[in-house]
Amino acid sequence: MTEFFVHNAWIVPVLPLLGGLIAAVGGRRLKAYSYLPVAVGIGLAFLVSLVLLTGSGGHTQPTAIEWIDVAGLNVPFQFRVDGLTTMMLAMVTFVATLVTVFASGYMAGDPGYPRFFAIVGLFVASMTGLVLSSHFILTYVFWEGVGVCSYLLIGFWHSKPSAAAAAKKAFLVNRIGDFGFAIALFWLWSVCIGHDLSYDNVFSKANLAGLQHHDIVGISFLLFWAATAKSAQFPLYVWLPDAMEGPTPVSALIHAATMVTAGVYLIARSTPLIVLAPEVQASVAAVGCFTALLAALIALTQNDLKRVMAYSTVSQLGFMFMGLGAGVGNLAAFAVIGAMFHLFTHAFFKALLFLASGSVMHSMGGVIDMRRFGGLRKRMPITCITFALGSLALMGIPPFAGFWSKDEILSSLHLASFKSEALGGIYPTLYLVIYWTAIATAALTAFYTGRAFFMTFFGPERLPKPDDPEADPADAGHGHGDGPDPHFGHEVAPVMWVPLAILAFCAVVVGALFGLTGWFAHHLEHSPGLAEPEDFHHAFDWFTATVSTTGALLALGLSYLFYAQRGPIPARIAGQIRPLYLASLHKFYVDEIYNWIVVLPTKVLAGAAEFFDIVVVENLVRLAGWLPRVFGKSLLAPFQNGLIQYYAAVTALSVAGLLFVFLWLSVN
Amino acid sequence: MTDAFTFDMLINYLMIGAALMVLGMVGFLARRNLIVMFLSAEMMLQGTALTLVAFGRYHGNWTGQVFTIVILTVAACEASIALALILILFNRKSSLDVTLWQEIREPGQPLTVDDPSQAEVEQFEDGPETYPHLTPAGIEPEHPTWTVHRN
Amino acid sequence: MDIFEIVRAIAVIVLGASGTWLLLPHRHGRIKPARSTLVGVVLSGIALICLATLWKPPTTFLAGAFFYLFALSSLAGAVLTITSRNPVYSALWFAAVVLSTAGLFLLSGAQFLAAGTIIVYAGAIIVTFLFVIMLAQKEGRATYDRMARSPGRATATCFLLFWSLLYALIALKTPPGLKPDDATDSRLARGSNLLIAKGIAPNTPEASVVHRALSPTNRLPDIDPGTTALGRHVAGLGGTLYTDHLVTVELVGALLFAALIGAIAIATPKPPIRPVQSNPPPPAS
Repeated sequence: MTEFFVHNAWIVPVLPLLGGLIAAVGGRRLKAYSYLPVAVGIGLAFLVSLVLLTGSGGHTQPTAIEWIDVAGLNVPFQFRVDGLTTMMLAMVTFVATLVTVFASGYMAGDPGYPRFFAIVGLFVASMTGLVLSSHFILTYVFWEGVGVCSYLLIGFWHSKPSAAAAAKKAFLVNRIGDFGFAIALFWLWSVCIGHDLSYDNVFSKANLAGLQHHDIVGISFLLFWAATAKSAQFPLYVWLPDAMEGPTPVSALIHAATMVTAGVYLIARSTPLIVLAPEVQASVAAVGCFTALLAALIALTQNDLKRVMAYSTVSQLGFMFMGLGAGVGNLAAFAVIGAMFHLFTHAFFKALLFLASGSVMHSMGGVIDMRRFGGLRKRMPITCITFALGSLALMGIPPFAGFWSKDEILSSLHLASFKSEALGGIYPTLYLVIYWTAIATAALTAFYTGRAFFMTFFGPERLPKPDDPEADPADAGHGHGDGPDPHFGHEVAPVMWVPLAILAFCAVVVGALFGLTGWFAHHLEHSPGLAEPEDFHHAFDWFTATVSTTGALLALGLSYLFYAQRGPIPARIAGQIRPLYLASLHKFYVDEIYNWIVVLPTKVLAGAAEFFDIVVVENLVRLAGWLPRVFGKSLLAPFQNGLIQYYAAVTALSVAGLLFVFLWLSVN
Repeated sequence: MTDAFTFDMLINYLMIGAALMVLGMVGFLARRNLIVMFLSAEMMLQGTALTLVAFGRYHGNWTGQVFTIVILTVAACEASIALALILILFNRKSSLDVTLWQEIREPGQPLTVDDPSQAEVEQFEDGPETYPHLTPAGIEPEHPTWTVHRN
Repeated sequence: MDIFEIVRAIAVIVLGASGTWLLLPHRHGRIKPARSTLVGVVLSGIALICLATLWKPPTTFLAGAFFYLFALSSLAGAVLTITSRNPVYSALWFAAVVLSTAGLFLLSGAQFLAAGTIIVYAGAIIVTFLFVIMLAQKEGRATYDRMARSPGRATATCFLLFWSLLYALIALKTPPGLKPDDATDSRLARGSNLLIAKGIAPNTPEASVVHRALSPTNRLPDIDPGTTALGRHVAGLGGTLYTDHLVTVELVGALLFAALIGAIAIATPKPPIRPVQSNPPPPAS
């Protein structure tokens, strides 16, 4: 049984794809049941993934079908089953199943209901294909598929201009990263043995030994470039906060739990290569650290609940990159496993937080501005409790999931500073700075998460007014909307809170269950580059754990003081440091800077090109169309006067002329 | 033995054939009566036939005559269809003047009128549009229905 | 070609063109004066005679006399066919053309065709007569018979074509000093000695193509001695028609059949498919 599924891993992506196809084709008939084929498909894929997770040892890569086979390039549809893959598969399909169930309630009544589930099915197929593929080019194919689905889902409400713009922005920013990926593939192809881009070949010892150092640095850097776009790292993170324009389940599934982890996955997969380039590792850690800090600072002042979550996602992804970058020397396996572990736990609690925000938004009638509501803990007890559990996990309070994974990243950063000193003094200070910044960022995380939680669920009870311009009463009152005044603030339906509860349970236990027992590390060690060396022993880092937990608890308490009672203190502090507050509120003007540096010059160039097109090219084309018209109208049309004899005369004249030409030619 | 039909004899025949064809063409181009035009076209065919027969005689084989027989047959076909068409056209406008049939000219081209006093010939009313009508074989396709109202 | 011949050829073109133009009906249907018709007849006659002088007379007297008779009468008939104001006369003159051409066919050894042409065209002429009588006989002559469509341009165009043809033919006339059927004659080899004239060796693909084209059944028996032709006159023509040109015969038969159906389909009276809705149907009440 297990053997069968390991050898036919293609079933995992095909099941959601099939579900999506059924939803797409039969959407007209299925109507409100369109979620069924997709939910069933993804659920079955989850079961298969579970079988793979428990049953796989070592790695196998059965070939499903041959795809490209030309001279110098052989790309089979080959699916690889190893520790990293099965872990990712189980996580993705589990979260996707719950999100699909949640969305079946959340999206009810939307005119694009079948379309939504069709794209979700396609997305899950692409994502599982991405983590299953055994070949860089196959990865790239699914990488693009994931990008397309993300574009379609962000722009799901495409008649809304902001959603359309956000989708466009996400797609374009992702293209920048894809460009880096493509160049990396070309480069890799030209230097690899046998021009074979399968992971087995690329990460084989013989191949890695044959690469020049500058090749390794360049390719690693380009792969990291690709990852920054997909995983929303500085400077390409700008699309992720805007992607919150999509439906909330999409934000939970794609922009928190799965797609954004693709970049992390790619770097983790490429560990054997990147380990050889300490420069790139250091820059990965530095960029991750900077992104985490920047996003946390922005999240401090945002008033939109979903945006807070989006920036916290960016920040947490920054943590993962810090972990990936900390894998110096023989630390690699430990650091990367730490990062992947954080990815794993983060998927649960961030999906939970997004879905909980979604249910708040749902019951508030589409209002998501935290200043317009408050004190919801009595009205929405289940959402409140699950949100609280997710928040604690995100803050890194023991014993919730986030604590264990964040602690591993922090301790690997701590170790990295010693390790790189021992290895010959490469960037030890840098890693130390990153370590302390990360601890500070963790405290900031606790603060802004607490702020969001307390602003939403504590304080005097407030609901959006019925005449709120952003509120849509019809959206809020499913089943209640018959009355004269809309009912805001009811608890959501079971189909929505049951997934929340399951995810909350996971957010509490997965950290301790998988991290403390060492099961996670053991499971991943069959993947290339992730086997822990024999001489490496790691004990629980009490110092880091204590420091970070203390910081987080302090920040949590502070946020309770500031926001639970809605005191005047935050406003006073904001007034004291007004420029900084404004900068954070306006996201440090990054979008504006990009607008000036990138968008405006492009627009000027496009304007010039448009001018050239309209004035020069178009007139040239018009000329080409004008010539035959003039020629035909004035010269040829008079011949067509309808008189048969006229036509015959022209024929006779032509024959005579032709004869004369022939005679003249034969005489001369 | 020298053949009596020398190369110069061939040229004699070719000259007559060419002259016949050219005179026929003059008739076709210059005359306006459909029947005379038809006769002129037949005359052009006669010229061509003469040329072919002469070539066949010169080369000493039958091929020229066989080709002429083909031409005769084609001329017969042409005669039958042309006369049928002339009949139809005459029924429309009660005239054999070819100048009346200018409708296939390019849109926007002026009507060719030889004599200003003849301008009113264009005011012939168009007959109802008809298509060739064969005896139905098999299932007859559905025709557009019409009703004829007679006073 | 000598200069004298060129002068005569130019005379044929110029005089023939102007004569025909004078004889054709007036452009706007005005009645031409009798003098211009007379001049036209004279000019056309001179042109015909000039053309006749360009011909090389046949060797035997009787054949030569008949040749000139038929040739001149056919051309004169042609001129009269196209210039007659009355289509009935046109048809009669066309009959004269057909008769003369049949005579020329006889002279060139196409006895069956001579008979066939007369029979076929006699039928055709009678039918045409019928048509003319049925359709065109109004009170007086029809206007369009007294008008020509731009006769000047038409004549110029056609005689330009004639000029090019005549020029080519005169340029090919036998130069002095070359006997008929001279082996060194490079102008146009007869079919029977094509292989020798073109220097094609036997047993080559080209030679087999020539043999296929000039099969024994395809040869004129009287001219080509030593051939085993099927027969003379009609028998010979029938032999080649049903051996070498069988497919042609079938095709031509099919064509005739199609034309027959087409003529019936076109000419039979039939109700209009899309009648003019000049008067709308009355209300149902």
